Amino acid sequence: MILVISVVVLLLYTCKGIMKFANIKISPFIYNLCRFLLVSGLMMLVSIGFDALRDQLETTLIALLYLIPVGLVTAYWGFGPGITSALISFITFNYFFMLPHYALAAHYPEDIIIMAIYLIVVVVISQLVGRMQSSLLAANAREQEATQLYELSVALTGMHDEHAIAQILAKQAETVLQAEYVELKVAGTEPFSFHFPEDSSPTRPADLILPIQTARNFLGEILLWKATPAISAVEKRLLQTFTSQAALALERAQLTQAEAQAQVLRESDRLKSILLSSVSHELRTPLFTIKAASSSLRGADVVWDSRERVELIEAIDDEADHLNILVGNLLDMSRIESGSLKPKREWNILSEIVGSVAARMRHSMNDHTLDVNVADTLPLIPVDYVQMEQVFTNLVSNGLKYAPANTVIRICANIEGDMFHVQVSNQGTQVPPEHLERIFDKFYRASATERVTGIGLGLSICKGIIEAHGGNIWAENVSDGLAFNFTLPSTWDGIFPPQLQMDTEIE
Amino acid sequence: MTSMLHILVIDDEPQIQRAMRTILAKRGYKVTTAGDGEEGLALAATGEPDIIILDLGLPDMDGVEVCARLREWTQCPIIVLSVRDGERDKVAAFEKGADDYLTKPFGIEEMLARIGVALRHSTNRQNGMPNKLIKAGTLTIDLAWHLVKRDGKEIKLTVTEYKLLAYLAANQGRVHTHQNILTQVWGQEGADHPEYLRVYMRQLRKKLEVDPENPRYITTESGIGYRFISDQ
Repeated sequence: MILVISVVVLLLYTCKGIMKFANIKISPFIYNLCRFLLVSGLMMLVSIGFDALRDQLETTLIALLYLIPVGLVTAYWGFGPGITSALISFITFNYFFMLPHYALAAHYPEDIIIMAIYLIVVVVISQLVGRMQSSLLAANAREQEATQLYELSVALTGMHDEHAIAQILAKQAETVLQAEYVELKVAGTEPFSFHFPEDSSPTRPADLILPIQTARNFLGEILLWKATPAISAVEKRLLQTFTSQAALALERAQLTQAEAQAQVLRESDRLKSILLSSVSHELRTPLFTIKAASSSLRGADVVWDSRERVELIEAIDDEADHLNILVGNLLDMSRIESGSLKPKREWNILSEIVGSVAARMRHSMNDHTLDVNVADTLPLIPVDYVQMEQVFTNLVSNGLKYAPANTVIRICANIEGDMFHVQVSNQGTQVPPEHLERIFDKFYRASATERVTGIGLGLSICKGIIEAHGGNIWAENVSDGLAFNFTLPSTWDGIFPPQLQMDTEIE
Repeated sequence: MTSMLHILVIDDEPQIQRAMRTILAKRGYKVTTAGDGEEGLALAATGEPDIIILDLGLPDMDGVEVCARLREWTQCPIIVLSVRDGERDKVAAFEKGADDYLTKPFGIEEMLARIGVALRHSTNRQNGMPNKLIKAGTLTIDLAWHLVKRDGKEIKLTVTEYKLLAYLAANQGRVHTHQNILTQVWGQEGADHPEYLRVYMRQLRKKLEVDPENPRYITTESGIGYRFISDQ
């Protein structure tokens, strides 16, 4: 008998499982009706079973046996079905087992007492079991609620991205409430909104709208669509707790963002004022020379001899070139900072790049020697020709500025594993170890007192270019001066340098 | 004086117009200036200039487009002016038929030299007789006999090296973009392989130049292409 009941209950659970899995929703009325019919059927079945055993069992024992299905039904389905089964069992007990059999009547007063006691016991049991059942359910629900809240707060901890926070809130609201549709609107400096499922949109107004707000700020709102079953008070309360958690996280994110922005602004403001003072000073020096020379030549009060005229004109020419370099560096720096400096890579020959820079630099070199040691047998290198020319130009110029006359500037390169390693060294003054990294900073000067022209952008441009190529640049003190080292990858997105098949000479 | 050579300067900066007028007039050229692309195109059509100096940064239209529109009807040499880092514009201008370029700011000597080369080139073209024997320093290239000599001694070149040299030398003085050379020497297949040009150029320079690191005959136009420098 118990086996039969267990099988039926099991079947029921399977049905329920399938329905849940297939997402079939039935109205609560039909659900309750089905349950009622099932309970009645079950009790009838049990009664017919007991009826077959009537000769072996005493009436009182049967009454006790009836308690088993009633208890089970209450345990599985709660108080309502429990009471239903109790009443049905009471009627069937009377009908089948009380004399006269198969009639709803009692012959003996003891029977009436038995019946009365049975009814009381059954009702009390089903009530007790039912209450236990419902408090168990409530405890489960509370535990689940606490778990969800915990999960939400864990998920939100350390989140600084508004979109991610909003995403989590909406996702949680959707899963917990099993809503059909969720829409989330976030106000603020950059308002945004999103919804899911993404492919549909509801036609009716939202069933629940909750503001996302803290004590100080209104941050947005969450809109939910859920028709059946309607959103319960418990669910609403849970959602409110969610939104207040999310509101705190959102507020925190906005504050962090604002703080970071303020930090960036402060920094860029500081850099701008350094730039302005440095640039205006550096630009004014050549301008002054040009102005002085050109106005002298123009003046009618002095007659310049040809040698003096040539000198003045040369000064104008040199300073104009100098101004051009300064402006070029400023432009490069702004391109590096805006991230628009994208290397246009091609397979190049390193010795050709170095060679052309060396040839050009030697023209303007009087007191220094340039010693190039870059084998033309090195593999092809995937770099931007023009940008690499600039790196070498800046590093050599740096040597020319800081190294004393009659010294040597060396360029050498080799390949180590999958990286090219290039060194440009000069015999100038060494840099204190703690400044070796800082010399690549913008506007950095080894010493402010030295009479050196430029705005301290050359090395930071080199750093920008090398890093855009996926390499590294660093400076180190060597025995007789300062060396700049940089590495460059020898492969291009994992592709190795091509090996060219050369054709043969005509005989 | 039969006729002064006529130079049309298309540049929107009044200071540059003024300087160009003064400097070029003093050298004996007739100078017309235009402040934007439309005016430049109109003056090119009516004034029949011998050479056009065109700034790529114009207020009304893209300089490259002006270049393309000029080339629809005139073979007049065009020298484009551009700022540093304008390699992409310069290459585009060359593809649209520009003859040479100058990077602002430039020395006047350099500009005059470029004008000279461009004018010579256009005279050669008008005469219709391509030069078959090219001399550059101690180097002679006989395009008719496929013979290259340095100090009177023959230099052995591979087929590709010769094609490369012959192409550059036949158009000496002019800048050739990487793409242009690649498709001329290697065909369409070469278009995506700038490394062919790099490697063959290195080989060629080793054979031709006295100091391959500091080339005298074939110069590198950084980021743009190569140029063959001859005596003519």
